[in-house]
Amino acid sequence: MRHRRALELPFKESTIVPAPQQAPAPRSGDLLRPVAGRADAAGRAPAELWLAVHLTASPSPPQQDLERLGARAQRLTPRVSLDPPDGLLLEVKGSLHLFGGVQGLSREMAGECSRLQMPCTLALAPTSLAALALARAGRADSGGERPRTTRGPGAPPPRMASGTASSEEALSGRPPLSSLIITDPAQLVGKLSPLPLATLRWPQDTLDRLARIGVRTVGEVLRLPRAGFARRFGTAQLQTLDRLVGRASDLKDRFEVRARFRRRRELIHELESHAALLAVLQPLLEELGEFLTARQCGVLTLECRLWHRAVPPTRCVLRLAAPLADPAQLAALLGERLSALVLPEPVRACELRSGPLASRVLASGRLWQPGEHGGGAAAQAPELIERLRARLGPEAVHGLRLVEDHRPEAAWKRREPKVITSAIQSGLQNDPGRNAVNPSLEARGSPSWRSASGQDHFASRSEVDNPGLFHRRPLWLLSVPRLLNERDGLPRRRGPLRLLGEAERIETGWWDGGEVARDYYTAVDVRGARLWVFREREPPHRWFLHGVFG
Amino acid sequence: MSRDLSRLLEHPAIWRGRSAARTRTLPTGFPALDEGLPGGGWPHSGLIEILPTCFGAGELSLLLPALATVTRRPEARWCAWVAPPLQPFAPALAGCGVALERVLVVQAKGKDAGEKSALWAFEQTLRCGVCDIALAWLRSALPRQIRRLHLAAERGATLGVLFRPRQAARDSSPAALRVAVEPAARGVRVTLLKSRGGARGIIELSLR
Repeated sequence: MRHRRALELPFKESTIVPAPQQAPAPRSGDLLRPVAGRADAAGRAPAELWLAVHLTASPSPPQQDLERLGARAQRLTPRVSLDPPDGLLLEVKGSLHLFGGVQGLSREMAGECSRLQMPCTLALAPTSLAALALARAGRADSGGERPRTTRGPGAPPPRMASGTASSEEALSGRPPLSSLIITDPAQLVGKLSPLPLATLRWPQDTLDRLARIGVRTVGEVLRLPRAGFARRFGTAQLQTLDRLVGRASDLKDRFEVRARFRRRRELIHELESHAALLAVLQPLLEELGEFLTARQCGVLTLECRLWHRAVPPTRCVLRLAAPLADPAQLAALLGERLSALVLPEPVRACELRSGPLASRVLASGRLWQPGEHGGGAAAQAPELIERLRARLGPEAVHGLRLVEDHRPEAAWKRREPKVITSAIQSGLQNDPGRNAVNPSLEARGSPSWRSASGQDHFASRSEVDNPGLFHRRPLWLLSVPRLLNERDGLPRRRGPLRLLGEAERIETGWWDGGEVARDYYTAVDVRGARLWVFREREPPHRWFLHGVFG
Repeated sequence: MSRDLSRLLEHPAIWRGRSAARTRTLPTGFPALDEGLPGGGWPHSGLIEILPTCFGAGELSLLLPALATVTRRPEARWCAWVAPPLQPFAPALAGCGVALERVLVVQAKGKDAGEKSALWAFEQTLRCGVCDIALAWLRSALPRQIRRLHLAAERGATLGVLFRPRQAARDSSPAALRVAVEPAARGVRVTLLKSRGGARGIIELSLR
């Protein structure tokens, strides 16, 4: 669609200035004279189809609300333009078939408006200006019916029909009447003709002068000679008419929504209860969900600030393992965090700020439920980690990795858990009769076990080089060695410890300040548990417990 | 006819006393233990209990071969360690063949809420179906809580292993398998306290 537009640019320039040769004969020189425009060239299929939304609320809604509606409308098409203060334009040609044609798409849009409690009229036409004019006219005609359409006090449903429609029909949420839908470019001029000129929103003195010469409708103005019209009323108005009937292309700025989400809500009452806070945050979270869905993005960090009367605001930061956009999941995670929060004072206002957006890869839903035949596991992995972290804290969930170091406490590190990719999971459809491979063949001694990171690989190499070393390592390690009692130079723990085998000396780390010099032994306590103990090489030669074999 | 009947009775949902209805199992890596367990190994899903006489009696070594097998399968899911009493020592795990990138450690610390958080985290881990095995260390667990954990494990097709003190053997438990572990001269002595359709008795295993 873009390149077609670009091709028309020279054509557009030629029509901006009304050339005399375009109006040679008095009758055929009117504004309706067919030019080799796209409407005619394309026959009955228009190149573009615009859906105009005219918000009928008075006074016009603030720009913020219009942007919000625009954000929602991006669900229907990527080409959304704002027409402040009360108009919204959607190019829907490409997405008609996705939403069940003109009727289905209009119903979706009307639904969005009614959800935001914005009464509106909808119209469709091959040009954006025509669609807007039609939508405005739909409101203008229906002035007498307005009291009947406001059924509820706060939420008048969208009006989509013109004045000829019964208000019952308008209330039932149906798409616009056929008089407000023009899909055939050939019918465009005929259907626009009866519209009042006010729908074009020209300056009032232009309208007055036109009225004085007896021109009150779009049809009448289109019949005026081009050259004379341009001389008397200016080329800007002529260009408007050209764009209205599709003789000149109409370039619209595409509406782009802000890339970070930040909303603040002032509370009517001061709140202390966590449940009430979450309920107050719910609309903000839903707004965040819409914001993210429109961009096909998710958030990785979300900050919730709670403002108090005297003390600085309480901050609650949610960090996620994978980009997330679902408001229900975000609410659940935030709820876990909030319930653990201690509030110094009642909350007067709350604010939600998203971190940078991350693109979210949407996956198809699974046929099997998680766990059922092993299906659906992959998509759940980040959710589990997030749920656990939300309640237990971000440090509580971690993976393990090896570090090449002889000191036991430095030989491993925490790492971010690696989320399982769905490619790995695709082979999970196990048949119930199949048993796993015998571990005695595979687990032990096989030197070529797979590892993802280079360090793991390195460690596995060294394991192969001296297999005996790793078998003398305990499965459990105390983060801080525990001092043991001793008697006659031998360690004790609930009784004397029996030392097995020879000592293993670990003496290293002098270069980074963490110097150790220890003799490690395997010991058995009175109950039969095997422990890993060491004796310091330096005086006073204390004994420490450092691990349990398990 | 009798062949059809026997095939019908092989359905995992039918439990016929000691005559092991065939279920999916995971070899333990110890042939002597495999013989004693129903189906010839650890169950593939559900909750089992391991009751060591003291911490470090060899209860973890008993599971290691199975952990190594499971985590190194190409379709491996997580192997979660919920509320471990000490830090799992990565070099030793790697040395025994456990694929570390599949290991997920979940610490549940807190003054009084630690045990409660651990129970909650264990249930989440079992239920969501992204773990092959979930190990948990709980000091006290009520029978109805264990029942709940067992159902969660079956739903998530996860093997839940609950380590409890030996004293808990006196309490009744809905777990599918209960194993007591005590240190022996060259390895561990395993007592099958409860095993549906399996043998009873004491099995001596050599670990090292």
